[in-house]
Amino acid sequence: MSQTIDAPRTPVRPARKKGINWEKWGWIYMRASGVILVVLIFGHLFMNLIVGDGVSAIDFAFVGGKWASPFWQWWDVAMLWLALIHGGNGMRTIVNDYARGKMTRTILKGAILAAVAILILLGTLVVFTFDPCPAGQPADLLPSFCAA
Amino acid sequence: MTQDPSDSTIIDGVHYHQFDIVIVGAGGAGMRAAIEAGPGAKTAVISKLYPTRSHTGAAQGGMAAALANVEEDSWEWHTFDTVKGGDYLVDQDAAEILAKEAIDAVIDLENMGLPFNRTPEGKIDQRRFGGHTRDHGKAPVRRACYAADRTGHMILQTLFQNCVRLGINFFNEFYVLDVIMSEVDGVEQPAGVVAYELSTGDLHVFHSKAIIFATGGFGKIFKTTSNAHTLTGDGVGIIWRKKLPLEDMEFFQFHPTGLAGLGILLTEGARGEGAILRNASGERFMERYAPTIKDLAPRDIVARCMVKEVAEGRGAGPNKDYVYLDCTHLGAEVLETKLPDITEFARTYLGVDPVTEPVPVMPTAHYAMGGIPTNVNAEVLRDNTTVVPGLYAAGECACVSVHGSNRLGTNSLLDINVFGKRAGNNAVAYVQNAKFLPLPEDPAVFVRDMIEGVRNNPGTERISVLRKELQEEMDTKAQVFRTDESLDSVTKTITHLRDRYMNIGVQDKGRRYNTDLLEAIELGFLLDLAEVVVFSARNRKESRGGHMRDDYPDRDDENYMKHTMAYLTGDPHSSDAADHIRLDWKPVVMTRYQPMERKY
Amino acid sequence: MSTATIDAPAPVDDALKPFIVTLIVRRFNPELDDEPKWVDYDVEMFSTDRILDALHKIKWEQDGSLSFRRSCAHGICGSDAMRINGRNRLACKTLIKDLDITKPIYVEAIKGLPLEKDLIVDMDPFFESFREVQPFLIPSKKAEPGKERIQSVADRARFDDTTKCILCAACTSSCPIFWTDGQYFGPAAIVNAHRFIFDSRDDAAKVRLDILNDQEGVWRCRTTFNCTDACPRGIQVTQAIAEVKQALMRGKP
Repeated sequence: MSQTIDAPRTPVRPARKKGINWEKWGWIYMRASGVILVVLIFGHLFMNLIVGDGVSAIDFAFVGGKWASPFWQWWDVAMLWLALIHGGNGMRTIVNDYARGKMTRTILKGAILAAVAILILLGTLVVFTFDPCPAGQPADLLPSFCAA
Repeated sequence: MTQDPSDSTIIDGVHYHQFDIVIVGAGGAGMRAAIEAGPGAKTAVISKLYPTRSHTGAAQGGMAAALANVEEDSWEWHTFDTVKGGDYLVDQDAAEILAKEAIDAVIDLENMGLPFNRTPEGKIDQRRFGGHTRDHGKAPVRRACYAADRTGHMILQTLFQNCVRLGINFFNEFYVLDVIMSEVDGVEQPAGVVAYELSTGDLHVFHSKAIIFATGGFGKIFKTTSNAHTLTGDGVGIIWRKKLPLEDMEFFQFHPTGLAGLGILLTEGARGEGAILRNASGERFMERYAPTIKDLAPRDIVARCMVKEVAEGRGAGPNKDYVYLDCTHLGAEVLETKLPDITEFARTYLGVDPVTEPVPVMPTAHYAMGGIPTNVNAEVLRDNTTVVPGLYAAGECACVSVHGSNRLGTNSLLDINVFGKRAGNNAVAYVQNAKFLPLPEDPAVFVRDMIEGVRNNPGTERISVLRKELQEEMDTKAQVFRTDESLDSVTKTITHLRDRYMNIGVQDKGRRYNTDLLEAIELGFLLDLAEVVVFSARNRKESRGGHMRDDYPDRDDENYMKHTMAYLTGDPHSSDAADHIRLDWKPVVMTRYQPMERKY
Repeated sequence: MSTATIDAPAPVDDALKPFIVTLIVRRFNPELDDEPKWVDYDVEMFSTDRILDALHKIKWEQDGSLSFRRSCAHGICGSDAMRINGRNRLACKTLIKDLDITKPIYVEAIKGLPLEKDLIVDMDPFFESFREVQPFLIPSKKAEPGKERIQSVADRARFDDTTKCILCAACTSSCPIFWTDGQYFGPAAIVNAHRFIFDSRDDAAKVRLDILNDQEGVWRCRTTFNCTDACPRGIQVTQAIAEVKQALMRGKP
């Protein structure tokens, strides 16, 4: 009867299971990935928007040209993985903080996991299987090296 | 945190528990006793608050011990200062124990984890304090071990932490209201206590072999006081109602530096660090009254001088009703590092910044030197010499007497540690061979009747009105200066208030957290104790320490070099206090020091 | 010096004029009410009065059944932590003059702990998580008999901030994580662990760090700084939590 408002704390706390401490590594991951992402994202923005003709230079040929180089492939894949897991973990935290019901939590976290996994898979697939010189396309849309 | 002891049983709605030792009160003395008692016997600590709310936490300045970490010192000098500070009404054997065991008491606390301030060599730092001198009064000495201006807070936290370590059983927010006495071979002995659980309104009987009272003081009989709202003398009142005597109740300490109008304490440590009291014209008036140690004279002397300055028109402020504590020359760094809390109090409550402005101060009711008489083993006395087996008291509620008629600053934190420890140890030794005494058929009947009586009383008087009148009368007529006339007048007021108390009505009739009911019962204790204080004060026709009579301004060793013992003899509600209070005397124990005039 | 004394401002100037303040208190009597309700009270106050004085005035002059905890009344005992205008404060340290009294003042119990009655909550869960961090000195060897342990001034200063804690629960009950996840240790327990982890005399930092390395330990902290804002003792709570996190990363204090 006394507990008409906020959820009371349950004093019984299960002992921590041995093994990997996901909360700790999650916390460390958020900080580390954050720092790396700053570099990756600003590098990405600098290359795409400022260098050379800047934003007006972006077209299929520009992207194709970039992904022909393994350096940029790995740059973008790293950005993809780090950012999606970073974002997904952040969303998980928010769900943990604000979703009250156990069921709601499970569903929301499952949805986040699915979204992250699918996007990572698709993105990785695209970056590594991207064909910069698809057959039968007008040459002016393709990167210059396709003509060779 | 309240432990739920699995061995408690419920009979007729009353919970029964059994413990070897029950400690009433979870302040410094109670928890210090628990740390000794817990490992040696099955112990329960019962408090009407959570332990960390106890008023030990409000103590600021320090804890005296002749460690000699910063300059030459000896426990013998400390004994002398304690005896002289108490205006020679101190039992000197007890004072000697206090000063000797002080050193171990401080070391104990440090070893338990108390974060004392440190000297450059890493030892416990010490500062000056009022009345503590080198070589029998030659100059102030650095004797008070301290942790900034929150020494009491650190002691309370450290003791609580160690109770947690030892897994002490706490019963928090249980209000003890009665001691059950059983007769063994014609001698009354305690068999347990009865407590009222605030959260549920249930009654609990704690059957026990030994009981330690550590319930603190009763400063709330006064209006301007540094004491907490909860310091209503419940433990002392329970003992009084059991017709056991109270000792030296007329001696109440008024701390010189309470925030003007509020009574919030500003530590004497401020003056220990060099702060100065000034009157309206900026004069350092203590130079006139105590030329040797000036602002570091004992509290009774400083408090009286302050009131005198104001009475003679040299007070400051729009109503000329306070003096100043000037800390401005100490500098921001000393204030922020050594006196941070009081600096904040002045800023928060008066809007005065001690770094740049002097702080308005006036004496505030602070400490009861008197209380439940005990011997040096913390055993409660039923007369001048006979102990009540199994009953102990320690801390402010007890009167050993190490404080005599005026306690020195820092000696109270010492008292709770030295005599709390002794009470715990002696209780453990006692319960090894003692038996549980049989309980009466319905041990809770007295408390049940009292609570239901208050709850269902159809009266119209408000508790707050009666309490306010009591406190204001005590402030104007029984404070730093007293006369036969003023004491007579406040006696009449108390008698009148007691009559009106019979006609109180509480608005909250519920069982859970009925703080309205709680305040009503507390007021009952306050009225009882105020009457004893005033009655004892009228009888002592001299001025000594905390008891200052305008009509008898001198100390009279011939007639009054003895402790007052007050006994409740009749119906406490009879109209004339003399009909139910009998006063007797108890000799002062003197060993090394003969009374001398007290000059500083 | 004496000029400063004479020119000192009288602190009672404003206090001479009382005015009416409206308090809206969230009341709940478990024996009568199903739900807590907000109740208005008008009280005559001085600007230097505290919220605690206002509550006392209500209790003593209007409704004796209003229940709240209080003891020392000057911010040392930690009894009267409550939510005042939506912020966790001690009622005895919140002065009327520091609030906007053109609007009513809302007073309610602290959140996240079970409400017992009016402004009183069950503190047991709070103290339970305090006990779990082993908040007491654990030295590896005994001190020399009759001697203090030596500690340098700098080592003592290292944990000074967190020794100030009065266990009032203002921080823990201001923490949004604690509101939704009662299993979280909460800022107060971490502060008290910090006090021992960084005490040079203590040798059990590893044990406490291990406890706080829990899923419900320091990693749950989102650094919202609510706790630091709420602390009536001015403890840099969020910083203390961050220092414990750093100690965990290093594996030692």
